[in-house]
Amino acid sequence: MDYSVNLNMFQGPFDLLFHLIEKKEIDLYDIPISEITEQYLIFLDQMRQFNMNITSEFILMASTLIEIKSKMLLPQKEKNEDPRLELVNKLLEYKIFKEVTEKLKEYESESSYYFSKPKEEMAISSDVKIEQLSLNEINIYELYNIYISLIKNQNLKIEHESNFKIYRENYSVKDCIEELTNIIKKNGRVSLFNTFKNKGIITREYVITSFLAVLELSNKQGIKVYQNDTYSDILLIAT
Amino acid sequence: MNLKSVIESLLFAWGEPLNINEMSRILNSKTHEITKIIDEMINEYHIDKNRGLIIKRFGNSYQLITKKENFEYIQNLLQTTVNKSLSTAAMETLSIIAYKQPVTKVEIELIRGVKCSQVIKGLLDKNLIKEVGRLDKPGRPTIYATTDDFLKHFGLKSIEELPALKVEFEGDKEAT
Repeated sequence: MDYSVNLNMFQGPFDLLFHLIEKKEIDLYDIPISEITEQYLIFLDQMRQFNMNITSEFILMASTLIEIKSKMLLPQKEKNEDPRLELVNKLLEYKIFKEVTEKLKEYESESSYYFSKPKEEMAISSDVKIEQLSLNEINIYELYNIYISLIKNQNLKIEHESNFKIYRENYSVKDCIEELTNIIKKNGRVSLFNTFKNKGIITREYVITSFLAVLELSNKQGIKVYQNDTYSDILLIAT
Repeated sequence: MNLKSVIESLLFAWGEPLNINEMSRILNSKTHEITKIIDEMINEYHIDKNRGLIIKRFGNSYQLITKKENFEYIQNLLQTTVNKSLSTAAMETLSIIAYKQPVTKVEIELIRGVKCSQVIKGLLDKNLIKEVGRLDKPGRPTIYATTDDFLKHFGLKSIEELPALKVEFEGDKEAT
């Protein structure tokens, strides 16, 4: 949510000023400042009545307008700059981009008629090559699929808890990391399939926990996560 | 080796816009040669009424995309209208960056008259803009520029294809 999009329809004070100027069909180079200031303040008042959030930018513009208005009332010294000049230049610059934004919107909708395909994971499977499972290359669905297939392949039964209860975890990620690292320390490697096999019956909680543990370990120094190809066993190997 | 055939396969396999340098590395040919061949292909695909694909250039990359006239059929297939359009706030910010790049956040905020941190973050997340370094000024503010994804989003070949700005006053000479 972008907080600068307020007063519902205006991008900011410049946008609101434009709206007022266009509505009155005013020449930008000769803005009747007191009239516009009045309009602007009325508008802010209306917004306030609607309990809308008026950001500091709108207040700042109001005070700028009042300042310009008071300068206009003072007797002008000769060769003095028009007090409105700075504001007008800013408005003109904003207008340029406001207009080009409309153009770009057309470009955008035009380009939406063309479809293209996002890049896909193309796993080229090979029995020889061990490809490293890198976390920024694997997406959540693949991980999910790996887990599901893993459970199916290994004939593991996930016990379905019928009632949904929130309870203290009896097997924490920390425990699981410890367990896995111990095996790695001993054997230099650990197969995730085997750890599941050894458990026999596992709970959903256990699956999720060990899953998180693998993710946690993959960030650790000295441990690499390997997988031959999609859906196959995940190996953690000490380097 | 038939270059055109290989290029088509590469573009299909890659899916996303594929950089010309990458192709020349794979095909072991000079980029200008590849560019020439792809330009021919672009023409052939475009002319061939039996084809549903065209090749489009975005910056230094090329991509296979469907023809515009088949849009409604694809839409029926997908059953969804993907609304990719950006908010006005994002659009205004993006157009300022596009024309004034490299540009700092403060410069953008001066033109829009509102804070832009959130919008800029959103554009960075969408990979439409990127940080291209810092300005050698007090505070070393980050400077932003548009990406190839920006070109793709608006269907532009290059940044030069942006519509011309209507400049009405003396001051900004950067506007092209």
